[in-house]
Amino acid sequence: MRLLDLVTLVLSNLNRMRGRVVMTAMGVVIGTSAIVVLIALSTGLKQQTVDNFSSFGTLNQITVFSRSRFGGSSDEDTVSLTPEIIKEISQIEGVVAVTPYEQFSGQTTLRLNRMQGFGSLYGIDPSVVPYMGFELAEGDALLSRNTVIIGASVGDGFSEVTTSTRSTSGGGDRGGPGGNRNGGMPPGGGGIEGMLFGMGGGRSEEESTEEESTLDLYGRTLLLDMTRSNDGETDTRTVRLRVGSVLESTGGNEDYNIYMSMGDLESLVTWSNGKRPTWNSSGYTQLLVIAEQDAQITLDVTKEITDRGFNAMSTTSVVESLSSTFSLIQAVLGGIASIALLVAAIGIANTMVMAVLERTREIGLMKAIGARNRDILSVFITEATAIGLLGGLMGVLIGAGVAQIVDLFAAGYLSSSGSEASSVVVIPLWLPVFAIGFSMFIGMAAGIYPAFRAVQLDPVNALKYE
Amino acid sequence: MAFISIRGLRRRYVMGEVIVKALDGVDLEVEEGEFLCLMGPSGSGKSTLLNLLGGLDSPDEGSIVVNGQEITKLDQNGLSLYRQRQIGYIFQSFNLIATMTTLQNVEFPMMFSGVSRPDRRRRATEALIKVGLGDRIRHRPTELSGGQQQRVAVARGLINNPTILLGDEPTGNLDSKMSEEILNMLVEVNRNGQTLVVVTHDPRVSGYAGRIIHMLDGRIVSDDGKH
Ligand SMILES: Nc1ncnc2c1ncn2[C@@H]1O[C@H](COP(=O)(O)OP(=O)(O)OP(=O)(O)O)[C@@H](O)[C@H]1O
Ligand SMILES: [Mg+2]
Repeated sequence: MRLLDLVTLVLSNLNRMRGRVVMTAMGVVIGTSAIVVLIALSTGLKQQTVDNFSSFGTLNQITVFSRSRFGGSSDEDTVSLTPEIIKEISQIEGVVAVTPYEQFSGQTTLRLNRMQGFGSLYGIDPSVVPYMGFELAEGDALLSRNTVIIGASVGDGFSEVTTSTRSTSGGGDRGGPGGNRNGGMPPGGGGIEGMLFGMGGGRSEEESTEEESTLDLYGRTLLLDMTRSNDGETDTRTVRLRVGSVLESTGGNEDYNIYMSMGDLESLVTWSNGKRPTWNSSGYTQLLVIAEQDAQITLDVTKEITDRGFNAMSTTSVVESLSSTFSLIQAVLGGIASIALLVAAIGIANTMVMAVLERTREIGLMKAIGARNRDILSVFITEATAIGLLGGLMGVLIGAGVAQIVDLFAAGYLSSSGSEASSVVVIPLWLPVFAIGFSMFIGMAAGIYPAFRAVQLDPVNALKYE
Repeated sequence: MAFISIRGLRRRYVMGEVIVKALDGVDLEVEEGEFLCLMGPSGSGKSTLLNLLGGLDSPDEGSIVVNGQEITKLDQNGLSLYRQRQIGYIFQSFNLIATMTTLQNVEFPMMFSGVSRPDRRRRATEALIKVGLGDRIRHRPTELSGGQQQRVAVARGLINNPTILLGDEPTGNLDSKMSEEILNMLVEVNRNGQTLVVVTHDPRVSGYAGRIIHMLDGRIVSDDGKH
């Protein structure tokens, strides 16, 4: 039988039972559109999440904590992040540089003339500055005594001081970026929950009614006011910090960072705590390990550090595990939707068995006039496949439509929650192709049994069938 | 060897305890171009013999050789091709497909023999003109009289130029005037050299036949052409 004749015959056969064909195809439509919607949604979320993370921070940086910070109470085996450990880690293959990454946790305010601002103070080893992935807007990227590198947004936070606010507000009280609340997190790490789905943007907008202006702080000398309390007595001290370099904006929390040398930080801490920090014996709070610019090497180094008993985390490893989590979600959702298609397959099989029964005489006639078994097989299997195809096409269209509607709602929700809303629904090219192909395959598979029943009909009896 | 040569043909139906011997040892030779009539009481095995000859059924014993080919040894695919190339069928109940036009019904067998669409159109139209239905090619079977439907069936049966035309009571559902029409067509077909084997109770049909065979209980009891 020629292909064109087969198609013509199948179309006319479907046409004469079109009511049932449409109803049967509805099952496929539901299954296929569910597949399209669910996979489009999980693909969109995956893409968005991965994008958010990838745009965020430097991919080859690994943040290291000693395990007890997360593991909880009193693990005696806890290894501290001492200078010896830094030396050990720097010898791991693929590691380019290692530095302590210590945040100053005292209360601070920055001043410039009559303006007041905030920033997160971090101490790093001046020698690793070239590996930090800093993109300079201005300056020479050198850390020396009382010279700092500041993130792009530090200058944005400065505002005119009114006498009343000046006397009452401390650095951390405004919930602003300079607050000391995200101490101990990786660069901008306070925003992990915020990065998911692009919501929140990692920081809350300041609700200050005071006028703010963007200052170019490059080359200026900022006054850092520190406060400490000692037995109920409050003590203040002011340190002068020269802005040696300003970084380009990364869009993350690190835009509010102020980097200084470990030496400078040590003197701040010493004053604030009233004693020298015990980093050499009890270790640093966290380290920053810079690996070679390669995702796999970064992952390998992360794993190696983890194996040595530390908590190591890199954006790359987060992206990796998120991405595989989402792939799993995708597979599970796709699988659930596929069950709907399997149910639809039973519907197709049922419709085709009915069709064989109704057309028994016709099948007998086809045999009598010389149709071969394979002709009869192809007619019935093609009919079933066509029902699958029809359902698949409609399902993809409806699924894409529903996905767009979901996207609209999600976009509305996301923008009302204050983040720039990109698409949560992504239909990759393979999805409609797969969905239609899978529906056709389901139809074909469902047609096999009825088609064989048609073939096995005894022509003499079939021709007598009423 | 004769054009059709049937030897020791047996066909049994087992219905629980009962064994029905639908054919109980049939030997028959038919020459090319004969017009042969199968008669006999109901249940005597006429249809069974016709179906075996048409390759729609297989015997329990015996052989059928048609045109040098032993069809009782063919597999399913071979039988399909045999039916497609050698056999045309006409049934008592016409067996036209109700959803197809008369033209499509006549075209239908050519779909399976791989004739191209324009050729099919042309040949089916010609065949319908020949049976006097040139003005009915777009009609559905239900829009035709019984006689007209059977004429469509004849056109369909002949469309692949079969060497043998088989009819199982082709006039059984027709009144005498319509039967006459069909009979004339059959005679015409036979004149063109096609072999005709027709099962009938109708004495008018047997009147035109060149040879009449009577069956009883699965056996041939008389054959007026036997020499
Ligand atoms: N599929 C079947 N199953 C069981 N028995 C059958 C079957 N087909 C035919 N028979 C039996 O075989 C015998 C011959 O049947 P067949 O149809 O050949 O008779 P027939 O001569 O054509 O009769 P009629 O003139 O009534 O058509 C009958 O006794 C019938 O009951
Ligand atoms: Mg009969």
